[in-house]
Amino acid sequence: MINEATEERSWTTRRDKKAKKILQVSQLAVDKILPSEKMVEALEMLISPGDRVVLEGDNQKQASFLSHVLTQVDPQKVYKLHMIMSSISRPEHLDIFEYGIAEKIDFAYAGPQSLRVAQMLEDRKLKMGEIHTYLELFGRLFIDLIPNVALIAADQADVYGNLYTGANTEETPTIVEATAFKDGIVIAQVNELVDELPRVDIPGSWIDFVVVADKPYQLEPLFTRDPRHITDLQVLMAMMTIRGVYERHQVQSLNHGIGYNTAAIELLLPTYGESLGLKGKICKHWALNPHPTLIPAIESGWVESIHCFGGEVGMEQYVAARPDVFFTGRDGSLRSNRAMSQVAGQYAVDLFVGSTLQMDRDGNSSTVTSGRLAGFGGAPNMGHDPRGRRHSTPAWLDMRTSNDELARGRKLVVQMVETFQKGNEPVFVESMDAVKVGLDANLATAPMMIYGDDVTHVVTEEGIAYLYKSDSVEERRQALSAVAGVTPIGLQHDTKQTAALREKGLIAFPEDLGVNRTEAKRSLLAAKSVEEIVDWSKALYNPPASFRSW
Amino acid sequence: MSIAFLFPGQGSQVPGMLHELPDHPVIHQTIAEAGEILGMDVLRLDTEEKLQSTVSVQLCLLVAEVAAARVLLEEGVKPEMAAGHSVGAFAAAVIAGAMDFPSALTTVKRRAELMEAAYPEGYGMGVVTGLKQDKVLKLTGDAFSEDQPVFPANLNAEDQVTLAGDMRCIEYVLERAKQEGARKAFLLPVSVPSHCELLHEVSQELAGELYKIPFKNPSIPCLSNSTARALRRGEDIRHDLAVSIARSVKWHEATLLMKEMGATLFLEMPPGRVLTDLAGAALPSVRSLSLSESGIKSAVLLGKRYRNG
Repeated sequence: MINEATEERSWTTRRDKKAKKILQVSQLAVDKILPSEKMVEALEMLISPGDRVVLEGDNQKQASFLSHVLTQVDPQKVYKLHMIMSSISRPEHLDIFEYGIAEKIDFAYAGPQSLRVAQMLEDRKLKMGEIHTYLELFGRLFIDLIPNVALIAADQADVYGNLYTGANTEETPTIVEATAFKDGIVIAQVNELVDELPRVDIPGSWIDFVVVADKPYQLEPLFTRDPRHITDLQVLMAMMTIRGVYERHQVQSLNHGIGYNTAAIELLLPTYGESLGLKGKICKHWALNPHPTLIPAIESGWVESIHCFGGEVGMEQYVAARPDVFFTGRDGSLRSNRAMSQVAGQYAVDLFVGSTLQMDRDGNSSTVTSGRLAGFGGAPNMGHDPRGRRHSTPAWLDMRTSNDELARGRKLVVQMVETFQKGNEPVFVESMDAVKVGLDANLATAPMMIYGDDVTHVVTEEGIAYLYKSDSVEERRQALSAVAGVTPIGLQHDTKQTAALREKGLIAFPEDLGVNRTEAKRSLLAAKSVEEIVDWSKALYNPPASFRSW
Repeated sequence: MSIAFLFPGQGSQVPGMLHELPDHPVIHQTIAEAGEILGMDVLRLDTEEKLQSTVSVQLCLLVAEVAAARVLLEEGVKPEMAAGHSVGAFAAAVIAGAMDFPSALTTVKRRAELMEAAYPEGYGMGVVTGLKQDKVLKLTGDAFSEDQPVFPANLNAEDQVTLAGDMRCIEYVLERAKQEGARKAFLLPVSVPSHCELLHEVSQELAGELYKIPFKNPSIPCLSNSTARALRRGEDIRHDLAVSIARSVKWHEATLLMKEMGATLFLEMPPGRVLTDLAGAALPSVRSLSLSESGIKSAVLLGKRYRNG
């Protein structure tokens, strides 16, 4: 029996609505090309009140021209937008809320705007959707946050709307796919229009309009760490990590965070790592941005492959000259892809190493501090154990702690922290600021970065706690407090337990790992300055001006 | 690339501060204009002796700051935002176009007179540096009593807080702060417990004055002292100027907010370099320059480069 109401229903409402808007805006465009001075008018026609709008901007590439145009639309015409952004990075990302253009936000990271986000939330000037990890946010673009409009950035376009995203492809394909294939409207800002693209990263049939921006999209050098700032203490922790984690568990595939701790590890591989005969045995496959500090290890033949989330300013030529290691296009330049690299970092690597500002007695950690709502980015994707995963690498299997026939391995999640941050603030604390921030901001859950039950190892300047080996919550806390120095958590350690914990392998001090404290000197680093990294790269690495001191 | 104009508050005054302003027609005009409105020669207010009076101090600051900022505007350096510390907020409001200069002069004079008369003795202010803000707030809260009240007055930096209230109680908190590891903790040569509840009545009288004056929406946002928010409506600026005398100044938070709003260059109006130092410590990546120290010429050159960049 056919219901009459069903018969009358249109199944093409989204498509019809889009067609109507495109037709209207076509008057302003030549083919797919919109003149930049007509963009305000175009956005007012293409965006409806209440639309879900993805504005491309992550911790690196920003659709900075389009975000600026969006602040200029008439709030009488365009309002109550539900913004979806990987990263709230630029002032205008929040200006649109102050001007009454946007109302609600879903995001993953807000480091550069974290105070203002907290203030505006308190002032009820923005409604919070969720603070996601990158993969959660990307995933929901295909489920229940399907965009009506995507505002994206690319290097070049041709008249058909084909896009070239160069070294900074990042999440552009993901955003466009979620929008274009559900009858959303995709508008790309490009640095230039060309007759022929070096390669096609996104086909023109996915793109509705292209506009040439008044200046190139903003790009931040985010993953460049100057080795000058690496301390002897960080060298010590890096030595312990190489011996006590990488060598011990034979870690072959991994992701590193952006701290100086991990930069120290990268710079010790060709020196200290080499002297231990570990080359070819550890650290072969990476999910990682093109960190300049990895250049000496690459040049010394340690690294077989690197897949990148995004690019890094200054690394373009170097990457293009090392296609055996990096993923590159026919044009020679890097092909990055944030969504795929996050998947790889979450699901395909042995180990993640990160750092944090605060950690509690159970190993929970967060970089959220009071008055600031910074979000998470990608660290929680990689810094956890995806439980259904099956894997057979030595490191993975080495995490088994029972002989049960169904026993499985797990991801190695390592936190590397000095017990005190600068300013004499303890890292190990009774209660993390994040708990209070979560309550103040009325979040559904406290903004945790890495959950303690996912953490397998904690490395401090005191030693390593092998948390995965503990049998009970009590034992776990004892192991953690044993390496927490003179922080409030460290002071709770019962020194009578130390010997037993060492005996059982729950903690290890440098001497237990064969690491000599007096050897831990900056002189061990393969490069001690950006200049030396440039030398290692055979002058292919071209550091941004702010990192040049010569 | 955005420029923020910073306008210092009480404590930055120095003898001769008006005489040391650069020889520029806009400076002379502004000083003459102030003289006409106030019916006195303002150039006589900046002697060491005259600056013992809060009224002279606040008027000199207002005149010097408005005059210097007007020179920058005249020379083509346009800010994207303005922030004034305490009485400096009046100069910021003038430069942002929220209130006119004559109204600011008469209101600031009244404000200073009210403050001077408020607490003749037994009250004052102190400062703690080198101890984290939350620790100082805790010490202050613990020491507070109805008989001997003490409040955090200026939250200037992560590790710099001034206190206002009963002298005995301030001295007690300073002592405790030293025990807790503060780098410095000492009394300030100020007899008015500014920026705390003790000035509630002053705040109310000041509000009465401010509500007689027309306020306009500013051409650029002004940073609030009492909430560290960017104010974009004349009405909100008027309210903030009235209430902030009886509330703590959230300067550190306002400084951080300006960076998030896009500020890449801070230019501090004369006299002094207090706010330049605070900005430099809070935000090493943002360039800050004090006009007193570097001169108006450098400020203009740098300002134009930032505008074009």
